[in-house]
Amino acid sequence: MAIQRPWSVDRRTILQSGAAIAAAQFTSPYIIKARGETPIRIGLVDPLTGVYAAIAQSEVVGAKYALEQINNKGGVLGRPIELLIEDSANDVGTGVQKTRKLIERDQVSFIVGDVNSGIAIAMAQVTSEKKVLHIVSGGHTDPITGTGCSWNVFRICNSTTMDSAAIASTLIEKFGKKWYFLTPDYAYGHSVQAGFEKILKASGGSSSGSLVPLGTPDYSSYLIQAKAYNPQVLINVMGGGDQVASLKQFVQFGLDKQMAVGGALFELESIRSVPDNARIGWWTMEWWWDQPGVPHVTEFNAAMKKITGSSATARNWFGFASVQTLALIANQEKTLDAPKLAHALAGFKLPPEVALQPGAPEFRAGDHELMSTVFVGEAHPPQGDPDNMFTVRNPVPGEKAAGPVEATGCKIQWPA
Amino acid sequence: MTLLLLFNITNGLIVGAFYVLMALGLSLILNLSNVINFAHGGFLVIGGYIAYALTPYVGFWGALLLAPPLTAIIGLAVERVLIRPLYGRDPLYSLLLTFGLAFMIEDGTRFIFGPQGKPVAIPPFLAQPLSNDLFFITGYRLFMVAVVFIAVALLFILLRYSRLGVRIRAGTLDLETVAALGINVRMLRSLNFAVGIFLAGLSGVLAAGQLGLEPTMGTGLLMPSFIAIIVGGIGSLAGTLMGGLLIGVASGVTAVFFPAASEAVIYVLMAVILLTRPRGLFGEEGMMS
Repeated sequence: MAIQRPWSVDRRTILQSGAAIAAAQFTSPYIIKARGETPIRIGLVDPLTGVYAAIAQSEVVGAKYALEQINNKGGVLGRPIELLIEDSANDVGTGVQKTRKLIERDQVSFIVGDVNSGIAIAMAQVTSEKKVLHIVSGGHTDPITGTGCSWNVFRICNSTTMDSAAIASTLIEKFGKKWYFLTPDYAYGHSVQAGFEKILKASGGSSSGSLVPLGTPDYSSYLIQAKAYNPQVLINVMGGGDQVASLKQFVQFGLDKQMAVGGALFELESIRSVPDNARIGWWTMEWWWDQPGVPHVTEFNAAMKKITGSSATARNWFGFASVQTLALIANQEKTLDAPKLAHALAGFKLPPEVALQPGAPEFRAGDHELMSTVFVGEAHPPQGDPDNMFTVRNPVPGEKAAGPVEATGCKIQWPA
Repeated sequence: MTLLLLFNITNGLIVGAFYVLMALGLSLILNLSNVINFAHGGFLVIGGYIAYALTPYVGFWGALLLAPPLTAIIGLAVERVLIRPLYGRDPLYSLLLTFGLAFMIEDGTRFIFGPQGKPVAIPPFLAQPLSNDLFFITGYRLFMVAVVFIAVALLFILLRYSRLGVRIRAGTLDLETVAALGINVRMLRSLNFAVGIFLAGLSGVLAAGQLGLEPTMGTGLLMPSFIAIIVGGIGSLAGTLMGGLLIGVASGVTAVFFPAASEAVIYVLMAVILLTRPRGLFGEEGMMS
């Protein structure tokens, strides 16, 4: 008889453990339960881990708040709604797998997500194939509502063209036409840089840049390249933790005294993560918590403050607006049929309590992009309120920033 | 172009010095205990967050002194409870355990401190570049290199001249004989693990000051450190030192010509070394067999 050692683990145990871990990938996601017996399910896929975890968590907070509001008002079609939240782990394969699982196994009626543009595009292919209404809450790359647009895909956050078009002229006028790009080497980064370059070239400017792998820990070599080019503006397109690390080094190297810095986005989550001396530059905000005179913004901000302890961010609003949009359109049309809802959403205007911004932004019928206001402004250390770290200088209407539908390359093919 | 190249080589040495600090801790643990510590980046994060939590009370310098030993104490507890039972087994066991532990640490810090990064301020006099031309050599980066130099020197003195160091080196070569000579191998492994984690904690405090602090920061810094060990040669601390500097320089030089490949180049370098000299630059043959 073989002697059993106290810590021995045989091959079978390893295989069983491996199978258990693999099976765990297909178990039920975290479900936010609501009242009622036959809830309507919304699947939310976002990178809850990885470099975009902070902004993804913000979207989840906004989505949960919307869920609570909707269920308090009677739900959708008289039924409560549930939110099934999945972590895409900032990985395209995982995002696609989780989307398929939500649709095929969990039978969700709608899909929301992802923060990562590359994942959002891949998810859109799945939702199109499965004919599920899909709201891209926070993935910005142009093709989502451009060359890769689809009848079932709508987007809350801005396209990269909208963000770059809104701020490019300000950067050119204030600082000059010689730019250096620090760009993340994936769909979003390429798309933003292309948008900026198009405008810069049209105004006779010149540029160079570095494509930087996601999650790069040190930016010094890229900043040496930038300094060698001697630009007037460093366009920092990095996001999340990457943007925080690169901006910190930019300031430590004293480059803020030699060139301006700006770009498409410097989200409130990221501004909070850098020290005061790195809270600089000209950027766009896609939503801002301090909009005096705009209805319902104060209430939403207060609600988010109660939940998170901090002011509402654009990501909170993305999650909130995504879930609210789905509930509004389903209640209006009294159906869950995706093609019918998609037809109704094309041209649908968000009511003030969901829009939370000047005017009534609509999902443009030609490309399904929400014509949301782009808030161009300047980052700075806190002034009064600890989250008052951005001053809006120029709110640009969505339609103006987006340009004509024809320029997006979107040709929507509706199902027969 | 020559100046740019020189700048990037110098910068690569600075970046590489940081990888050295991480890699030496990893290497110590791997050499003596055969544990491929995937949680090393996690311990770096713990070190950074401990420093962040302590800074309001003891300032940056106090946090720099206190955070690494506190991280080492946590490392000791982890070694005692989780890692020790796996000694003597296939390294795959400890690899899987530390791989899971890395996720737990990342999620744990996210749970405690939130997913949002934390701003870590450094003393203002360190936050200035040396000059307009040598802008990439800041006071803080110089300080970081000095800390790495001192830590490496102390480690080599410890290993060379102290009884503990001699035993660690002997254990790296033949642990069974060391045990047969009556040396408490369990204690030796624990202390060695603690020294390795101390270096991870120190790396965490230094990295937080330069790059900021967030739960995922260890992931991006871990792989270059592993590659430094493989390139330098498993079993050789001098090799780890050279490996760290080499990959820093390789990455910096590549950034001049093809920035997008500056991360990939270290993997290419590793592949080339493994193909031409599988033991690494300074490694001894059969160390991992």
